[in-house]
Amino acid sequence: MKRGDILLIGLIVVIAAAFLVPRWLGGDSSEKDHNEKRVANITVDGKLFRTVELTGEEQTIEIKTEFGTNLLKVHDYGIEMIDADCPDKVCLTFGFVERNGGTIVCLPHKLIVEIEGPPGEGDDVDAVVK
Amino acid sequence: MPSLNEQSNLALKRTVIVAIFAAVAVVLSLVESLIPINMSVPGAKLGLANIMVLTCLYFLRARDALMMVLLKTLLTAFIFGTFSSFLFSIMGALFSFAAMWFLLMVGRKRLSAIGISIVGGIAHNIGQLTAASLYFNTTNIFYYLPMLLIMGVLTGIAVGIAVRYLIPSLSKLSLFDGFLTETA
Repeated sequence: MKRGDILLIGLIVVIAAAFLVPRWLGGDSSEKDHNEKRVANITVDGKLFRTVELTGEEQTIEIKTEFGTNLLKVHDYGIEMIDADCPDKVCLTFGFVERNGGTIVCLPHKLIVEIEGPPGEGDDVDAVVK
Repeated sequence: MPSLNEQSNLALKRTVIVAIFAAVAVVLSLVESLIPINMSVPGAKLGLANIMVLTCLYFLRARDALMMVLLKTLLTAFIFGTFSSFLFSIMGALFSFAAMWFLLMVGRKRLSAIGISIVGGIAHNIGQLTAASLYFNTTNIFYYLPMLLIMGVLTGIAVGIAVRYLIPSLSKLSLFDGFLTETA
């Protein structure tokens, strides 16, 4: 291993840390806003398939399309891919996603799940009333 | 006449090496998919096939290595995948190839195989994420890039060490006689 390698590794780790550390620090504060509703947008082949509210109760969503079948599970204000009949199973490795911007992708099925904050930033009151 | 003979001999050897390397790379990807290792980061993988790509870049010219990358990606896509997954892997493979080739041209003196394989692995990830974000029209996927960078460093070190052992061993074979390059 040469000095250039060490420099390169250091540089990459610093870049990665610059992204990861604020995320970890910010993670604690996001715990308390569980009462604000988040939704997961499920998109298949570029078209919105379904929008699910992320609730504390368990709920299973089956997505059957011409590309294949995926099984999603909503629980503890987050969402998780629990089964898929795709060949690579990469989507199962995404694990449990709960934060804004969290994503689950299943490439072979052209499926993407994205978590978003409360629908419409301005109408907080409406969201609470619901 | 003997020089012509030698030249065609060299071309033949090159073709054989490209074919062998591509075949080994495909087998390595197959083996990798059988290893039940959970990286806990989506999209992260060992990248064993990168061993062959990098070794090829050390031994042969860039265009031969490119040929080998294309062959490897095509064959793997035929075995595993669908057309769309082929688009993603070719994007990753070409990104990775370009990055490693560039580094070998510029920084052969300063970087060893380890550094180059790290960059290759990370470029592969970036290529795939870019393809996916264009395809799904979202930048949210880059959320996973930092984790992939860390994994890329770890797997890149492993691949680099493998290449460092592989190159001297292969150099002893008579097939590689004409292709010795100074290595790290």
